[in-house]
Amino acid sequence: MKSTIPILAFAATSVLVSINIQANDITVESLQQQIDVISQKSNSMQAQLESNEKSGFQLAGYASFGWSDIQNGSNNFDVVQFSPIFHYQYSNIFQFEGELEFTVDELGKTKIELEYAAGNLFLNNYMVFVAGRFMSPVGQFVQNIHPAWINKMPSAPLGFGHDGASISSNVGIALRGGLPKVLNTRSNYAIFLANAPVFEQGDDGDTIINTEGRTTSNGASKTIGGRFAINPLSSMEIGISGSTGKIVETLTTGTIANSGNVNEKIQRDYNSFDVDFTYNINSLDIKAEYIRQKVGDNELSNLEAGLWKAYYAQAAYQITSFKLEPVIRYSNYSNPEIKSSQVALALNYLFANNVIAKVAYEINSADNQTAIAEGKDNNRMLAQLAFGF
Amino acid sequence: MKTITKSSIIFLILSIGINLNAQNIDIAKGAELWADTCIRCHNVREPADLSKRAWKYSMNHMRVRAGLTGDETKNVLAFILFSKTEND
Repeated sequence: MKSTIPILAFAATSVLVSINIQANDITVESLQQQIDVISQKSNSMQAQLESNEKSGFQLAGYASFGWSDIQNGSNNFDVVQFSPIFHYQYSNIFQFEGELEFTVDELGKTKIELEYAAGNLFLNNYMVFVAGRFMSPVGQFVQNIHPAWINKMPSAPLGFGHDGASISSNVGIALRGGLPKVLNTRSNYAIFLANAPVFEQGDDGDTIINTEGRTTSNGASKTIGGRFAINPLSSMEIGISGSTGKIVETLTTGTIANSGNVNEKIQRDYNSFDVDFTYNINSLDIKAEYIRQKVGDNELSNLEAGLWKAYYAQAAYQITSFKLEPVIRYSNYSNPEIKSSQVALALNYLFANNVIAKVAYEINSADNQTAIAEGKDNNRMLAQLAFGF
Repeated sequence: MKTITKSSIIFLILSIGINLNAQNIDIAKGAELWADTCIRCHNVREPADLSKRAWKYSMNHMRVRAGLTGDETKNVLAFILFSKTEND
């Protein structure tokens, strides 16, 4: 559990650094013996880090199983998800990583999606070149927090799921890594160039920004973006990120306006902006993020342009002696058609740091009749068992 | 043309940064980073959770996701391997 962090950290640092505690009992010989042991172990570490084994493979990932009871609706075991992650490494210069997501739908059919598949070329101490489909560096929730065993709630904050205000993935290239310390502060960066996203009507008729990375830019200029983050305190990160480019829309009979043609691809201006914050102090974990995507007008289409924006703030406290973790989260999502908000409360039980049972209650509200008719203001009780491996 | 310009800028930056020297491993720094960095996103995984080999691959994954330098990654890995007992 968390208590092992300071124990192990203390064990390592104390052996190496602070032998002064019992200074009166220490002889030069015993000190030399300790240094020799550490030195041998350090050499062993070096040998292990530089082993002759040039390539290798690892299967990691996570899975979750969920149940929900919706106000004015039914209760169901409604989540079966299995997400294997494959790592293949060649020497210390290259690593491939890919994640599949298997889910089961209401008809019992299995759905498979490629979350990401990218090659990482380790160019130097500060730079990794990434090529393929990768989780968008814009923001943090989608990139780093969404896996079920990491997310402290059984659901994503409003607007941070698929087809919301957050950005899912990109197909393209990126450079990223950690930077040298400046004023004793660590920082990291990511810049990327990727195919343009798509603006369309979703299956339910809602207008959406489809940010699932695809293998065509549909003739539009590429999206360029990045993220920069600093760590002003231990266990704290503040990040700012964004992207700019064009977004592509294919005109349909339902969306065409003025002189456009059906199936004609048109372009609109597009940009995104995100600020994220995370801080862990003792057993208190605080996370917050604001993201927005802006889509410009095009007179050939009647799909409404505007802002898709969402934000959330979350606090969780681990009571390690009982393996319990109460969590509270507020999230808010709006787009040109809907505004909604949610307060969610959860209580987690940690069988282990990567095996977690969650029970949560969501209090939802929406501000227009369409959303209310779709049940988006219905409260929900959720339960989930999640584990990472 | 714009795309070519953007790509050129990226690859220019890429080519500048090659061949920077790495430092020797530092287990104490690795311990500090392990305690400070992992917890920002997720519950800390104990050294015993994964095999030595799996830790090597996981740490390269985390180097990309958490924005660690190559040296920082090696230090954290060294600390984890140092902390594992013979039976882990």
